[in-house]
Amino acid sequence: MSKRILIVDDEPRYLRLLEANLRTEGYEVSTAQDGVQALDVFSAQPIDLVLLDVMMPRLDGFGVCQRLREFSNVPIVILTARGEEQDRVRGLDLGADDYLVKPFSATELLARVRAVLRRAQPPAETSQARFFTHDDLKIDFARAEVWRDENPVSLSATEYRLLLQFAHNIGKILTSEELLTSVWGVEYKNDKEILWVSIARLRQKLEEDAHNPHHIVTRSGLGYLMPPLES
Amino acid sequence: MDTVTLTLLNELFEEIQKKHDWKAGMDTIFLSMRGSFVFDNVAIYLIDPRTKGLEVAYARAMGRGKNAEAEAAWGESLANEVMTTGKKVIKEPVLGSEDPDRLALAHLIGFPLFVGGKLNGALVVIRFGGPAYSMQHIQMASLQAFWAATLIERRDLQEARAELDSVQRQMRLQDDFVSTISHELRTPLGFIKGYSTSLLRQDTTWDLETQREFLNIIDEEADRLTRLIEDMLESARLQSKTIQFKFAPIRLDALLRDVATRIKTHRPELKITFNFESLTPIQGDAMRLSQVFNNLFSNAIKYAPGAEILISMAIAGDYLRVTFADNGEGIPEDYLPFLFERFYRVPGERTVTGTGLGLYICKQIVMAHHGNIWVESELGQGTTFIMELPIDRPQI
Repeated sequence: MSKRILIVDDEPRYLRLLEANLRTEGYEVSTAQDGVQALDVFSAQPIDLVLLDVMMPRLDGFGVCQRLREFSNVPIVILTARGEEQDRVRGLDLGADDYLVKPFSATELLARVRAVLRRAQPPAETSQARFFTHDDLKIDFARAEVWRDENPVSLSATEYRLLLQFAHNIGKILTSEELLTSVWGVEYKNDKEILWVSIARLRQKLEEDAHNPHHIVTRSGLGYLMPPLES
Repeated sequence: MDTVTLTLLNELFEEIQKKHDWKAGMDTIFLSMRGSFVFDNVAIYLIDPRTKGLEVAYARAMGRGKNAEAEAAWGESLANEVMTTGKKVIKEPVLGSEDPDRLALAHLIGFPLFVGGKLNGALVVIRFGGPAYSMQHIQMASLQAFWAATLIERRDLQEARAELDSVQRQMRLQDDFVSTISHELRTPLGFIKGYSTSLLRQDTTWDLETQREFLNIIDEEADRLTRLIEDMLESARLQSKTIQFKFAPIRLDALLRDVATRIKTHRPELKITFNFESLTPIQGDAMRLSQVFNNLFSNAIKYAPGAEILISMAIAGDYLRVTFADNGEGIPEDYLPFLFERFYRVPGERTVTGTGLGLYICKQIVMAHHGNIWVESELGQGTTFIMELPIDRPQI
């Protein structure tokens, strides 16, 4: 079944541009012209990815992102203007999976959409065991679910994939490039900002004290690792 | 210090604090001390920051010699002496000289004024005829000099702060302006980039109709970018007042009919009704005023499509009043106060291409004519722009 993408932008010409290009790739498209409408459309039908403009009347892109994250892990790509770094970081902070900087080319748009949808696929399971534990952290690979202290933790598809990298490489230092390539795709290899924000978000959700993490630890100048537990 | 003096001093200080102007503050001081310190004239000289020379900043005739000496030239040489030494200078007439003219026997005291730690001027007091200044008089003059310096410093600080506030406000406006401009420029650029790269995609083909649609959008957005840049330059010139207005007697009714005729050649379907007779000429810049009417027409065409336009003109007091009304959808009341602001666009009107500068430019032009323009609108009824231009343009 083809994927359905929700495009949210108050400029009809952006809606038309995005829709025309996405349809050539066989995606189904729904549209909304402001944040409030976006939430309505989202709840009315299953959506596989949301392309979200930031500057909109009524409810802006950040607001939509925040609301969606309260109940959904749908992949979200925010559309921001060039030079607005703080917008990108804010979007990622609020749980967006990726961003696209305006003005963008049609091929860039389609590449980002493909990459994000690819990430959202549950990864093929390599490990034999169904469960993984690391102190108070527990992963059910079969159901792609995570618990901390017996409480379920809601992770976005990207965050889950990032966590798996660590779980599958206990005790091994993973560089930023490795993580960006394996989780986001080779075209994101140098996009450290997106990794920093995602690691920070993951820690917020998994660590007892995000400033003093013990599941995902930073090795300055080298990368990150999940340290082996002393038995 | 005895109670009476203390009370007096307190009252004096309170009085001075209330004065916003340093000169009014000095008036209070001199008047309140007049009873115990008699003199004829007082002058305060300050260094002019531009010429670096001493200029009279304050002069009052207080007493008996209220006539000839108020222009304060009498104190200049003493003030210069104070400036050279940086100390108080007392000049008494030569003893024994028995000139019958009291005015020839001048007793002068000069005190330096230190403003912000720097010698910045002098206070000079003159008394014609005796007796000589007592120690108490000299102390009182010293106190007056201290107050003068304090009040002048306060004025300097107030001025500096006002200037700082204004610079900060300007910088904030500049920041907003830059971020708005970059957003405004990026929007058409984003469409041009997006639609042209769509057409350039090698992994897909577009049907002819879509190709034309995309090319039209690219074309329109390139035009919008051009207009935006022209309008921006125009509004910047108007704001910095670098546009020279060419004022001449013009007949506004004839000018309006000309503009309307030109519009109708492109838009023959447009319904325009005039409701005025030939009116007295006014002083105006014909080209700029045509620009105002052009803007109003193109707004009506864009935002009130299909509406009729009714233009009336009449004398209203000292002004010629033009009302430019359409019977379109109208503009919600909440948006009206912002219509003439730079880059303001009514939310939800983004489908129509526009720069958000047209009405700003209109207002600047009308204001350069010492006139005024405003808007009235009612939903479902239409929108009316009202413009008033002075019949006799005041001299600038």
